[in-house]
Amino acid sequence: MPLIAKNLIAGYGGKPVLEKVSFTLEDGEILAFFGHNGAGKSTTLKAVLGLIDTIEGEVILNGENIEKMSVDQRLERGMKLLPEGRGVFPDLSVRENIEVVDAVNRKNGRQMISAPDVYELLPVLAERRSSIAGELSGGQQQMLALGIALLGSPKCLLLEEPSVGLQPDLVENLFSKISEVCKHLRVPAILIEHKIVSALKIADKVMIINSGRLVFNGSKQEAEKIDLWNYF
Amino acid sequence: MTMLFLHLVVDGIVTGCAIGLVAATFAYFYSTSGTFHVAHAGVYTFCGYVAWYCTTWGIPFVPSLLIAMGVGALLGVIIQGLLYARLAQIKASPLVMLIGSIGVLTVLQNLAAIFFTPNIIQFEFPWRIANVELGPIFLSVPQLLILILCPLLYVALLLFSSYTALGRQIRAVASNPELAQITHLRPRRMFIYAIAISSAMVAVPGVLVGIDQAMQPYTSLIILLTAVVAVIAGGIGSLTGAFFMSIALSTIQSVSVLLVSGRWSLAVVFVIFIVFILVRPEGLVKRKFSREL
Repeated sequence: MPLIAKNLIAGYGGKPVLEKVSFTLEDGEILAFFGHNGAGKSTTLKAVLGLIDTIEGEVILNGENIEKMSVDQRLERGMKLLPEGRGVFPDLSVRENIEVVDAVNRKNGRQMISAPDVYELLPVLAERRSSIAGELSGGQQQMLALGIALLGSPKCLLLEEPSVGLQPDLVENLFSKISEVCKHLRVPAILIEHKIVSALKIADKVMIINSGRLVFNGSKQEAEKIDLWNYF
Repeated sequence: MTMLFLHLVVDGIVTGCAIGLVAATFAYFYSTSGTFHVAHAGVYTFCGYVAWYCTTWGIPFVPSLLIAMGVGALLGVIIQGLLYARLAQIKASPLVMLIGSIGVLTVLQNLAAIFFTPNIIQFEFPWRIANVELGPIFLSVPQLLILILCPLLYVALLLFSSYTALGRQIRAVASNPELAQITHLRPRRMFIYAIAISSAMVAVPGVLVGIDQAMQPYTSLIILLTAVVAVIAGGIGSLTGAFFMSIALSTIQSVSVLLVSGRWSLAVVFVIFIVFILVRPEGLVKRKFSREL
């Protein structure tokens, strides 16, 4: 299985925030991850990416235990993060944004998705190639952030609130693009979102966290049968 | 009177070009790393002394200047590697970084005094006092070199920044350091490149101003002060703002002696700075996404 987290206990300054978080993701699957602010969603992503030390548990990416690896080593293995609201280089043009990351990946020999592929997957970026990233609309900036995250050889996408600040129609558009890309490239993704209805449309699995503990972990079909709000 | 005014303007522009390169390189490293690198003034002075020392061994001007630039780059790398990177590792606050940088500035000034001399020194080039006549204007050869080389290097820095892969990577790090980290741009390595480039470049005004006006280990602070004022008033992170604001401030400072005593000329710069900050706090060239002070 591409991504497995087993009994993750992680936190800050040695104090655990997560209580034995476990999940599995198959190729191309999207895991919608819900919870209140401060419930532990971002902490889970940080633990998966290695930005915080895990106290206990394992993270396995494509059969390899990456638990003891540094952030850089995990990035090299194809973990890609789309950080909330700051996924672009605002001073650079769209072309420069794509090119600088593309050049680094090319140099390091990690090139499943290169600049032309990103322009093909996300045509809006090709249209706005010369625009300064910071001057793009919110939706276009998120498309660019997604494009940057896809460059290289993505093996797992960690998407942190990609819809923040977007109008509803743009959210639908962005999410359908995320779904299309994940299915097309067969890359699993964890999608942290507050826009539950929109996220559910593209999710294959659903997870809800409350005070660091997973209170729901199941398929989209299972999630649709219950009242999710009871779990918050 | 008109001739005097013209000469003062030209003097101001020449000094402004030298300070402009100090300011632009200071802004370049600041916008990349977020470090308020006041030790830049120490590198400026030290490089001047290195070139002077080379000439005492009979090394011609151009190789001496290149050696000074090389030493400048090396000093920058050492400062970044041994101080700033380590302070960043322990998550030191910007104030601690600034104090550390002031410490390095003091050390560099004192090292220049110990290794070379604390006294005023002059380069022994015969062309140092030769004049070039440009219409009604007379310029010394070092002044002419400042007028040509400093703007050229400023333009070269802009071109490097926009049209080379490394320049774009450094701009990307300046633009969003967190994203640079997770996209494998290796910000710490980019900080080293940025400080090496700015330190090598600051050696040029360090040497040329030294040739033009003689040198003392502790004089660079005034130049840095004007440069920092230009960086802030020019618009934080804008190389263009920093460079042209330096020229404007130096010219006003130079011309101000027609109205007030030369002793007050630096005060004039600060009065203008305060007025400027009150009227246009974002600086001459507003950058939408640059670092805040």
